This record gives sequence, structure tokens and C-alpha cells, in this order.
Amino acid sequence: MSGIGTGYDLSATTYSPDGKVFQTDYAQKAVDNSSTALGIKCKDGIVLAVEKLVVSKLLVERSSRRIHNVDRHAGICVAGLLPDGRMVVNRAAEEASNYKSFYGEPIPGRVLCERLASYMHLFNLYWSMRPYGTAGLLATYDEDGPALYLVEPSGVAHKYHGTAVGKARQAVKNELEKMKLGQLTCREAVVEAAKILHKVHEEDGKPFEIEMSWICDDSGRVHQRVPAEVLAEAEAAAKAAMEESDMED
Amino acid sequence: MATLTAGVPKHAAGAAGIKQHASWSPYDDNGGTTLAVAGADYCIVAASMRMSTGYSIMTRRSSKILQLTDKCVIASAGFQADMKALHKMLQSRNVTYQHSHAKPMSCPATAQLLSNTLYHRRFFPLFTFNICAGLDDEGKGAVYTYDAIGSYERTGYSCQGSGKDLMQPVLDNQLKAASPLLIPARGDTVEIFVITKEGVRREELELKKD
Amino acid sequence: MLPRPTTHSKALGPGVAGPELAVATSAVLDRPPQPTAQRPLSGAQAFSVDPSLVESADGPRQHTQYPYVTGTSVLAVKYAGGVMLACDTLGAYGSTKRYKSLERIIRVNARTAVAAGGEISDFQYITRLLEELATDDYRTDDGIELGPREVFSYLTRVMYNRRGKMDPLWNSLVVGGVEADGTVFLGTVGMIGTHYTDSHVATGFGAHLARPMFRERQSDDMSEADAEALLRDALRVCYYRDKQSINKFQVAKATGEGVAIGKPFALETKWDYKAFAAPTKWAIGAW
Repeated sequence: MSGIGTGYDLSATTYSPDGKVFQTDYAQKAVDNSSTALGIKCKDGIVLAVEKLVVSKLLVERSSRRIHNVDRHAGICVAGLLPDGRMVVNRAAEEASNYKSFYGEPIPGRVLCERLASYMHLFNLYWSMRPYGTAGLLATYDEDGPALYLVEPSGVAHKYHGTAVGKARQAVKNELEKMKLGQLTCREAVVEAAKILHKVHEEDGKPFEIEMSWICDDSGRVHQRVPAEVLAEAEAAAKAAMEESDMED
Repeated sequence: MATLTAGVPKHAAGAAGIKQHASWSPYDDNGGTTLAVAGADYCIVAASMRMSTGYSIMTRRSSKILQLTDKCVIASAGFQADMKALHKMLQSRNVTYQHSHAKPMSCPATAQLLSNTLYHRRFFPLFTFNICAGLDDEGKGAVYTYDAIGSYERTGYSCQGSGKDLMQPVLDNQLKAASPLLIPARGDTVEIFVITKEGVRREELELKKD
Repeated sequence: MLPRPTTHSKALGPGVAGPELAVATSAVLDRPPQPTAQRPLSGAQAFSVDPSLVESADGPRQHTQYPYVTGTSVLAVKYAGGVMLACDTLGAYGSTKRYKSLERIIRVNARTAVAAGGEISDFQYITRLLEELATDDYRTDDGIELGPREVFSYLTRVMYNRRGKMDPLWNSLVVGGVEADGTVFLGTVGMIGTHYTDSHVATGFGAHLARPMFRERQSDDMSEADAEALLRDALRVCYYRDKQSINKFQVAKATGEGVAIGKPFALETKWDYKAFAAPTKWAIGAW
């Protein structure tokens, strides 16, 4: 996939002869190069997790958030260009607030996902605009229970039992497919997510930290960061599991 | 006090001028008395702390004095909500001034600013009666006294608010004769700001709380 | 006490004071209405609007000039470790006891409660503002939660801004809560933006009936039980003397543990005092 030098990649309003919109593809590439983020739908809620590379020892721990609240019942984990991600999150919050003031009830996950997808899609329609180089894992909990969505730069959005974006997405998806997601609780999924992120990060060797949020019955059906002690436990379990598998090798 | 019933439609007043329903006024008089006396190198500012409406006391402890700098305070009586709005505005202007000029606003400058701020609202006045007091650029005591729409003058002493009719003659009498001051005051508490070159000192004088 | 309408308006309906119709409807005419260019010959008027309201010299009327459905006094006291708020659950339509189970105390967040008297619709609007404020605060996720002092300051600006537009929110609000450092906060703001904080506050009739009791019996370090007893006594007095109140109350408390809004309850009352039967018996010059 490359439109470089062909002239077909200069605008999001130009198709290549074989039916591609290169600007949109490039935006997706920005997401694919991102550090890995994953979402898991469990029987009692959703867990979002993301690995954050510690690019400098001078960086303040747990700064530069990747997971944001949108409303009490919704949160987004962004991957790709973070400033673009922030725009998407702000738009999501605006949509949620508008919906609440208009209809008097929280925005359903399906509607929020649809509106975000439409918003992202807008930037694929005009030559003067650049598609957002970001994808959002959207976790919601509404009347119909918990739901996980992925909204991509093209404006495509799907509902998932579990998915991943970023560099190691394929490895993570392989792991997720092995799991019985329907029987998992969020508490268990937090440990699994930590294990997966540690595992797929293995060969890299660069320092990283994990940011994780959940929305489940344990959290009062409110989207919030996973409590520090729960996360620490999960990371400890993940590291122990890694060492164990090293011993086996 | 001034009443303003703008925006009340004619028909609402009823045929024979009989008031049909409760209307409202954007103003209230929350009482209170303020007073300032300038000396050669000091200034004293005092204000009652009672806040009332009609015959009801709302609270016995609410300050009417805003200390802007080490050399300048503003004491306001009248409508409390306007007073607070005015104080917030002046405080924010004071902060902005310090950011752009790297020094506190002088007392005469504050006095001019207060006048401009009040006159800006000439046609929807802030119902406040102010005294701006402190030390001027030469370190002399300064008292500026205002009406509600920004007319002001520098004086040696002044008083404002609900007790001014009683207090002004006493001030005229006592301060023009060289005798100790005796201010006739009723109420809850008087807070007193003494401004000297060393800075601002706050004191309280308890009254009868009747 | 809140001012209330005393006469009926044909334009707005019974029980409400308001403007009279500039063009009278057939209901108040002794002859059928005359057809005009603006009105159908049938005389049908499914919804009548006073033309003078729409086309007055001052432009269309759009500002609140008087309240419709109102709540009466709100009482609140500080005590050791918290603040307690109380009011009845009546929404009065003029003198009609129209809504008897209106809850006029809301929880803004874990540390702040707000209670209101005055126009109920305006309070519901304020409730929405506060909900949005709290949601936004939650969303920001910076580990800082708005304290009662900040909520109070926000409300004073909202109330003052609206009076400045000559379109007031017709309420007296009471804000109570506990700051992050444990300081107990209690403040009140009126419909034109006047506000203050104190150890005890009361709006409307309560300012005259309850506050003298508070001045005598309230102290910042009193026990929770004493505070509740004091509020119940004050509510009873208000109920005896305030025509626009009912014997159904709510008490809420805001402490370090959070905000708890109690279930509605009724007070024991006694009406067979001799002075109630002959209120002027010992009053000299009365008849």
C-alpha cells in the first residue's frame, strides 16, 4: 500500500485507480504504529488497557493519559496521534452532555459510537481536512449492559467481544481468541490484560507502564481507572507468570 | 433606597393602579456603615459587619472591606450582591495590573479605577456606596469618597451607608476640633483596618449585637 | 416568605395572578366574539394567547415576573462534623397545595448538598446545571472534587448574572457540605444574588420563625441528634405558622461520609391549644 509519488495520496477526496483513499490509509497507519491498546468485554463489564512506553526517565509517572472519561457511563482509550485522540474524546464528551440535556438520560453506547464514527468520517470527505490519526476503544455501560466498540479513522466502527489496536494488535488478538471472554469477570480480565501486555511487549525490552480502566458492577457501572492496588496486583501476577514461563523454556 | 421596576409590563399593574401580584426589584439595601479617617502618615478604615434586609439580620459577620494592596482598601455599603461583584471585579483588575506593571496599584490609581468602574454602569448602577482609603504616593493618608455612579472626591475623612446621617455630624464636630474620637455605633461588630507604612493591621471592636 | 399572587387572571387561569386579556374571549363576553382578520370565524381558540403579551410596546414578554409553583422555607444548621438541611415537600400553585411530594434537596456530589425554596421549575433548571457541573468535574478525573464552597460560589454567580439580565431565577438556595479538609460549610444565596455564609441559615418565612430558635440553640459543635431535634422543632413552628407548608418534611445531612437525604416524614402536631381556638382572648383591644 503506497500512493507515494503517484499523486493519488494528496487529498482525502481522491481515490486511487484501485479504489483506495490513501489519506485514510495513512491515518490508519498512524494508529497501527501506536503502542498497543486492548479492550475486553467480560460478563460483568468492560476492561480497557494500554501500554505506555516510558520514553524518558524524566517523564512523570502516569502522566499523559491515554484513557479518558467521556461521561459517568462511558470511557475511551485512544491510540495513534494523541492530540487527535483528545479532540475525539472532547467531541464524545460533548455528544454525551448534549444527549443528556436533550433526552434527560445518558447517551446509549450504540448512539455514542455512531456519532463518533460520523464525526471521524467527516474528516475523510474534504480536501482541506486531514483524517484523524487516531482510533478509540469505547467502553460503555447502558440499559442493555456493557459494550465495547472500536472507532477507526475512516469512520468505521464495530462492536467487539475483545479487540486490540497498535503495534502488537495481532499478537493480542491471538491471545484474546484463546480466552473464554464470556465467562471472564472484569477482576480476572484485569490480570489477563496485564499478562497479555507484558507478554507481547517481551522482546521489546523498553520500559513501559500500563494504564487500565474498567466499567463494571464492581465500579458501580461507572467508568473509572482501575484502583492502583488492583492494578499493582495484576502487574505482579503478570510478571510472575512471565518468569514462570521463562523457567519452562 | 432606589427602586427600579424596569421591564414590568403596563398591564401587569392592573386597571386602577392596583398591584395585582408581587413584582421584584433587582436591588436590595443590605445596610451597614463604613468610615475612613486619613492622618498625616496613616489611614484608618472601619466598617460594620452586619448584613441585613429590612428588619431582618441575615448575618452578623460579613466583611464589607476589600484589601487590595498594602496601601489601599475599599469599603462598600449598599446592596451586597453588587458589592461582591464590584469587589471581585476590582480584585481581578488589581491582579491583571500587577501582571502587566509588576507593582501594586497605587491608592490614587485605584480610586480612579473605582470611579470608572462605577460610571461604566451609569444606566444600570451598582447600588454601592464606597470609600477608597489608604496611603498616597507620598505616604500621606488618603480617603476618597463616592456616590453610586462614580462621582468622587478626596477628603480627610468620610462615612457612608445607613449610619452616615448620624455619623457625619460627629465626624465634622470631632475631627475639626482636636479631641478624641467617639463614634456612635450600634450593631454587631466593627472591623477596623489601620493602614501605615508598615502595612495593614486589622482589628475588631465588638458592639452590643442588639 | 415568597410573594404570591392574590387574584385570578383570565389569561393564565384560576389561582394565578397575571395579565388580563387584551381581547376578551367569549367566556367573559355577553355576546359572541367578533370575527377579525386574525381569528377564525368559528371563534375557535384551542389555545388563547393574549395579543398584548406578544405585541406589547416593550417587545415580547419573556422574563419571569412572578413565580408559579413554589416551595417554602429551607432551614439549615451546622453541627459537629457536618451540616443538616431541612424543608417540606410541597410545591404550591398560588395557595393551592398542588404537588405534595416534591423533593427540594439534591446531592451535588459526595461533599455537597443543595436545597431550594421558590420557583420549582427554576430549581429544576439549576439542578441540571449542577448535574452538568458535577459530571464535568468527574470527567476531568484529576483527583480534585468541587467542594461546597466552590459550588456555592458558582451558584452566586449564576443567580447574580440572571438578575443582571432582569430575568431572575426565582429561588433562595442553601448550600451545605464539608470541605476536603473537614471544614463544615453552610451558605445561602437569594434570587438577586445576595449571599452569605453563617452557622445557621433559613430562607423565606424561616428567616423570621426559625432563625431566632437557631440563635438560641445552635452551636457549631452540637451533636447530630441535637441538631436534628432543633431542626424538627423549627420545622414544626414553621408548619404551624406558614400557610404554604405541609406536614411532610425531608432532612438531609452532609458529613465527611457523604450526603444522605432522608425519607419524607411527618411531625407530631397539637392543634387543641386554647389560644388556637380563641387567638385574641388575652390580646388587649382585640375583638
